[in-house]
Amino acid sequence: MTAVYVHGIGMTKFGSFEDKSLKDLLIEASREALKDADHPKIDAIFVGNFMGGTLSNQEILGAIVAHDLGLGYIPTAKLEGACASGGIALRQGVLSILSGEYENVLVVGAEKMKHASTATVTQFINTAMDQSTTEKEAGLTFPGFFGTVANRYMFETGAKKEHLAKVALKNRENAINNPLAQFQKPTSIDEIINARMVTDPLGLFDCSPITDGAAAVVLSSKPSSIKVRASAQSSGPTLMQDAVDLLSLPAVKISGEKAYEKAGLGPKDIDVVEIHDCFSMTEILSIEELGFFQKLEGWKAVEEGKTRVDGEIPVNTSGGLLSKGHPIGATGIAQIYQLVRQLRGNAPNQLAKQPKIALAQNLGGTGAYSVVHILERV
Amino acid sequence: MKVYECCGIESVTKKVFCSSCGKEIVNETEVPDEGIVYSFTVIQVPPAQFAHLAPYTVALVQLKNSNAKITARILENVEIGDQVSLDSIVDGAYVFKKVNTNEAVY
Ligand SMILES: [Zn+2]
Repeated sequence: MTAVYVHGIGMTKFGSFEDKSLKDLLIEASREALKDADHPKIDAIFVGNFMGGTLSNQEILGAIVAHDLGLGYIPTAKLEGACASGGIALRQGVLSILSGEYENVLVVGAEKMKHASTATVTQFINTAMDQSTTEKEAGLTFPGFFGTVANRYMFETGAKKEHLAKVALKNRENAINNPLAQFQKPTSIDEIINARMVTDPLGLFDCSPITDGAAAVVLSSKPSSIKVRASAQSSGPTLMQDAVDLLSLPAVKISGEKAYEKAGLGPKDIDVVEIHDCFSMTEILSIEELGFFQKLEGWKAVEEGKTRVDGEIPVNTSGGLLSKGHPIGATGIAQIYQLVRQLRGNAPNQLAKQPKIALAQNLGGTGAYSVVHILERV
Repeated sequence: MKVYECCGIESVTKKVFCSSCGKEIVNETEVPDEGIVYSFTVIQVPPAQFAHLAPYTVALVQLKNSNAKITARILENVEIGDQVSLDSIVDGAYVFKKVNTNEAVY
């Protein structure tokens, strides 16, 4: 039976790059991944991107990447699923190899956001919520959804703003050791708690930043040292008012369960994780939904340091979206970049014991999409 | 306001099919335009469209006599558990106000 392996990875620095276009970022990450894979003949390209059309006035990204890399007139497609665009592109790459159609595939994700104002970016990010509803007209924002979740979570569990801050602090401490991360300045619990409020109770450090950047992987049916053990996806509610349980992310739970089932593994088998921490609150919910901790107890695990690099299940050794940065279309692929490096044994914040099994979870919208991939060192 | 129901799942959103039994959703009931604050946030960084309102409160309101909830803008600062009722519908948004519970005769 066909299996899928990772042959190459590439990633730009995440941050603010006035002089680089969306295309420049895509090409830079792709070129590095192709070099890392020793330049196989690429049969197809899948691109993850969310706002190229609105913020850069640019579509046809797949064909542009094929053309400018000089890969010939191969088939390409762009995948969109808000912040899960990268993970969905990766999954389509995996499925295209599993189908037998292609042998070698390039998957690349990118976003160019820093040139636009925060109000403009917030407006366009809101397209990741259903725009034809009374909920949108009420003025709920994307961060506002997770602020509303956080207030209820604290009400039900006794968790405090300090526990949210501990997620942000951990991820910043990890980012300090990652030269590709956007934020590398040390911070403190006090600075995080007292930072400017974005949407109560979430402050500036609880929210992922606006970022330019790209990441790429080369996949193949030919064996390598990194095997894709599972690829799974789910959707979830697209409206806050339709959440059956405000404190759950069904898409994360279902995509996790499907991935575990496909891999024949469970949460206890996972050595290292990259989770979609678009907000500090989201990381706490998702470590619960993926089965690493009991429901409504994720905050205690954070308190006890269980998700730190030296903890029982290290989460976001890259610095996560919160501090590595969140160039939307790149995020799901940048998670794979960090995990492949962990499995190869040369990552920033490399685990003391070289991991064998790694899990990536990429979220889109306010829980509208979730993609989970499990990788294995073979 | 109207609530749509099938298999015990109630929503203010009119979906085509029931995600539980797969049949077309036909049950509509009218519920009071009031409820309690299930959770809320105060939006300090608004999208361009709502810049003139910031900071403003958005709450998820648990509707009275129903399992359904509705997302609404609230005129005042609120806490979880506060009673609220519909004030107006402005540009497609449900705007609720706090019920002064001292004067309420429940
Ligand atoms: Zn039904």
